[in-house]
Amino acid sequence: MYTLLYGLYKYMVQKDEFCVLILGLDNAGKTTYLEAAKTKFTKNYKEMHPSKITTTVGLNIGKIDVAGIRLNFWDLGGQVELQSLWDKYYAESHALIYIVDTSDRERIPDSKETFDKMISSESLTGVPLLVLANKQDIPDCMGVRDVKPIFNKNAHLIGRRDCMVMPVSALNGDGINEGIMWLVDCIKRNIDIRPPRDQDNT
Amino acid sequence: MGGLLSYFRNLLGSREMRILILGLDGAGKTTILYRLQVGEVVTTIPTIGFNVEQVTYKNLKFQVWDLGGQTSIRPYWRCYYSNTDAIIYVVDSADKDRIGISKDELLYMLREEELQGAILVVLANKQDMDGCMSVAEVHQALGLDALKNRTFQIFKTSAVKGEGLDSAMDWLSNAIQNKK
Repeated sequence: MYTLLYGLYKYMVQKDEFCVLILGLDNAGKTTYLEAAKTKFTKNYKEMHPSKITTTVGLNIGKIDVAGIRLNFWDLGGQVELQSLWDKYYAESHALIYIVDTSDRERIPDSKETFDKMISSESLTGVPLLVLANKQDIPDCMGVRDVKPIFNKNAHLIGRRDCMVMPVSALNGDGINEGIMWLVDCIKRNIDIRPPRDQDNT
Repeated sequence: MGGLLSYFRNLLGSREMRILILGLDGAGKTTILYRLQVGEVVTTIPTIGFNVEQVTYKNLKFQVWDLGGQTSIRPYWRCYYSNTDAIIYVVDSADKDRIGISKDELLYMLREEELQGAILVVLANKQDMDGCMSVAEVHQALGLDALKNRTFQIFKTSAVKGEGLDSAMDWLSNAIQNKK
């Protein structure tokens, strides 16, 4: 009887879980973005001070509950040698966030190249994509208007997926909400192609 | 009286963090432990049983357990799992033959219920050796991409030269404080 009730309870409170992959070159601000998102959407969450965030070599995870679903973020290391590990996560992701450091003009071509390589992967076909022009708090950064054309050049690679470029500052939290809300809508729309994560196996 | 004291100590947030250093034999666990504690390289012999030391790093106190890594004593690791805050898993990056065994031990260990909340740090040790594996290679060889529900980091270290340990401890202490 207990098991039955517990099962019912679990069924009632369980939320569909979706995985969001956060990618980008090293020092683009992926981990800072994840911390900012966690702070915005989790009550009583104590944000890690940005100065304490170091280079990621591995995986940071974050879970947030928003609009009736649960988002499970995977933030991976962005260094060149670690980029070969990204594809292991593609098949299980429901959405993709690609973060660009708009204050670092020199590495924009680099970022674009990495982006193309990633987006042409077959296991990511149809997955909603959010490109974030990060570090908008830095004067002299590139605006969305400059970044968008660069990343839209290979429209055939992006294909028929939901795609959006947004300005954001992970450091002071501007633009975080809008991005996540947009992603949530896309994930829900895309639910037939990428159904929620099977939670019995987690 | 002692209970009262420890209550106040908990209130101040200076509870000792319990950390396990695990890995195959000869990976460099004991060298790392003493590198952290006394800051120098000590001559070690294979650990049969365990070494436990208190390590203070940036005002944080850690109780660090270094357990012997030989095949015959690995089954006893699990006796130490309860209340563990973090695991430092040491890999000998130059030992390509046994990395598969290291992977199996790691995955087997992480399946334990008692370690579900523990933070994982992987140290790709012995980076001073020629022909050792890079971080990405160690990541792949250990099958870390299968860990999708746990925050972890890999660090290149050389316990003998003392490289990489500071950044690993920095990250670990931040992660532990953040978890509280």
